[in-house]
Amino acid sequence: MSKQVIFNLAVKDVEKSKAFFSSLGFTFNPQFSNERAAMMVIEEGSIQAMLTSEDFFRTLTGKPVVQAREANEIVICLTCDSREEVASLVEKAVAAGGRTPHPLEDEGFMVSQGFEDLDGHLWNLVWMNPQASQ
Amino acid sequence: MNKQIFVNLPVKDLEKSRAFFTALGYSFNPQFSNDSGACMVILEGSIYAMLLTEPFFKTFIDKPIVQAKEATEVLVCLSCESREEVDGLVARAIAAGGRAPRAVQDHGFMYAHAFEDLDGHIWELVWMAPQA
Repeated sequence: MSKQVIFNLAVKDVEKSKAFFSSLGFTFNPQFSNERAAMMVIEEGSIQAMLTSEDFFRTLTGKPVVQAREANEIVICLTCDSREEVASLVEKAVAAGGRTPHPLEDEGFMVSQGFEDLDGHLWNLVWMNPQASQ
Repeated sequence: MNKQIFVNLPVKDLEKSRAFFTALGYSFNPQFSNDSGACMVILEGSIYAMLLTEPFFKTFIDKPIVQAKEATEVLVCLSCESREEVDGLVARAIAAGGRAPRAVQDHGFMYAHAFEDLDGHIWELVWMAPQA
């Protein structure tokens, strides 16, 4: 079996978070979803996020749950296929109730911008110009 | 192109964290590593962790950095190929200065354990029976 990674992130409202990420174009795996958690597919078979209700998340950690609108432990960075995909995902995230902490950064070989989801978890989107590495 | 993921985590001492994850068997990509960050390969071409010094991590957020020994925002869960891989990684993590926050969970079809790294970030390790 090839390696998979699953990010467990605490959310205040699983249904609202599902709607948020659905509006960004992500899909969910119903086989591993219930009212306490929803499995979001980032890359089929290798990268998933588990959006987990705070009550359930607390049972998994033994430590207080971070309120991610106030502080961050992680920045999840995803690669995109184009500059347009970066801009469009951020635009959809803001329209769906997220926010962006930084303006888009364009360094020529690399374009990046981040968004915060409804709970304050930070997602950074990066497009690397394939020509830049040649 | 397949999506790649870079899990950015703040660390207090980059060299100590590199040594910790090296002891667990992970390698680093020197092309994307410097004094502020180290790119750890979890699955070549797909899954990476970026261990970033706190000052560099801070440049990506406009909020305070969580002290992960005290509170948790994320559990990073990695699949393993066998029960032995789960046990081996946890044993090496403890030997290298990490800790196991709880006992192993054995559900037969699923075997899970976890370790906290030097900064308190929690890594879950799971083996699932292929037929499950």
